[in-house]
Amino acid sequence: MRTILALAAERAWARIVVLALGFGLFELVVGLSYASVDQNAIRQLVDALPPALRALAGSADIATPTGYAGSGYLHPVALALPAAAAISMAAAPANETEDGVAELLLSRPLQPARWLGAHALAMAGGLAVVVLGGYVGGLAASALVDDLAPVDPGPLALALVGSYLCFLAVGGVALLVAALVRSGGRVVAWASGFVIVSYAVDYLARVWSVAEPLGPWSIFHHLDPPAVLRTGSLGPEDVAALAGLAAVATAAALVLVGRRDLTP
Amino acid sequence: MRHAIESRGLTRMYGRAVGVVGIDLDVHRGESFGFLGPNGSGKTTFIRLALGLIRPTAGAVALMGHDAGGDRMAALGEVGYLPGELGLYPRLTGERTLDALARLHPRPPSERGRLCAALELDQAALRRRVREYSRGMKQKLGLVAALQHDPPVMILDEPTSGLDPVIQARLLEWLASRATAGRTVFFSSHVLAEVEELCDRVAMIRDGRLLFTGPLAELRRGHTRTVEVQFAEPVDPARYAVAGVSAVEVEGLRHRFALAGDPKPLLAALAALPVADVAIERASLEDAFRDLYEGPPPAT
Repeated sequence: MRTILALAAERAWARIVVLALGFGLFELVVGLSYASVDQNAIRQLVDALPPALRALAGSADIATPTGYAGSGYLHPVALALPAAAAISMAAAPANETEDGVAELLLSRPLQPARWLGAHALAMAGGLAVVVLGGYVGGLAASALVDDLAPVDPGPLALALVGSYLCFLAVGGVALLVAALVRSGGRVVAWASGFVIVSYAVDYLARVWSVAEPLGPWSIFHHLDPPAVLRTGSLGPEDVAALAGLAAVATAAALVLVGRRDLTP
Repeated sequence: MRHAIESRGLTRMYGRAVGVVGIDLDVHRGESFGFLGPNGSGKTTFIRLALGLIRPTAGAVALMGHDAGGDRMAALGEVGYLPGELGLYPRLTGERTLDALARLHPRPPSERGRLCAALELDQAALRRRVREYSRGMKQKLGLVAALQHDPPVMILDEPTSGLDPVIQARLLEWLASRATAGRTVFFSSHVLAEVEELCDRVAMIRDGRLLFTGPLAELRRGHTRTVEVQFAEPVDPARYAVAGVSAVEVEGLRHRFALAGDPKPLLAALAALPVADVAIERASLEDAFRDLYEGPPPAT
């Protein structure tokens, strides 16, 4: 298992470093931009926005330092970078099946579940590095911009734990798809579809009362960095929902991979 | 089970398409066994079933007595496998690839040095990344990865593909030496000369069904050879027209004809005739294979 973990990490490290730097840099730029805006003007602007646009910032009052910093973790770029890390690493088993590496590996006495499990650990580790990049970027911004002083490292870390769990759930779903198909492209397509549909469901639930009951079924309903920064705590039900989905999807993947054909 | 590989009624369907059907095959321990068939005949499907990489629709297969379904890990611990379509990590060096694959096998890579020397895979080559390798170099690396543990059963899918003739000869020599040492060599090939050089027995598969299993000599015996007889005086061909004789051509005292099957009745008939000279060409393996491949489709 350690061998597969090392091989998966070796294959992905360059991509992970780039995504981590990108996430960190993005959060740094978002934080630095707070120094250049007039908070009252932001408040007036937000108040003037229609609910459909206001919903993009989640529960954040972006005129406040914590709300502004927290909404930076809900920006589509901030969602896309860790999602890319989780999905691309979870797609690795399907890529290996597609290019014949899996046939070489699994013709050794290596349990398919251990092979997939090693990829799950690599995905979890790679995702942690990317999320850490986002944390460092946000931390650097709060240190450099005086107005962001209320953004404390502790709540920021908790907010990033929430982000980590959210994208771990995405990775778990992608891993489940990877256990069922033999093409990395199909894993990326299905997992990206899951993220987009989940995002759309959460958005609709925020702006359309009829769709509101659907909200909790979206992973993004359970991702609220502005609220975590404001309250200093992570909702236990959100942790349970995201960690539960990640655990169930990964467990299902580990069971199913042992029950299917490992090569075409 | 006594055999290195033993399958009973092994069947794999892909929807309505046939992978393999009802394969009953025994590969004895310590023998070199050739597995022959045209592209898409089911060779790779059989190998993947034997390794437990795909699941049978019906039947069972065991490696060294370990069921490929229920006791797969024990079975794979006895096997070295070279896939027909070799996939490798392109960014790893050759050496890292061998090290990583060695760690996944319970047997130590005791033969790596000798194999690398035989296949001319030197240290400079092993330090390069796999993406820089030619097809032949990748094949050599795959062979070393499969055989470095000196496994009791070697399953090789087209092992000489991409190798130059000198390296092919060295590989066959190496495989023959391991077979002499009691290892089982099971390999699929299109190259009849190497099958003839290495194998004790062969199996032929077409459209997922076994057409023939047995020694090469038996395969030859059942197929056509050319006979040329020089008589001392004119002879009517009807006097030696025993079963299996056909396509007789007469040029003066020289008769040339095809003979299929057992030659004994013909030799008995010729013994009573004024024969000056006789030559029986060895049955061509190529012809025997062609006869089987081009014959009527196997029964369902």
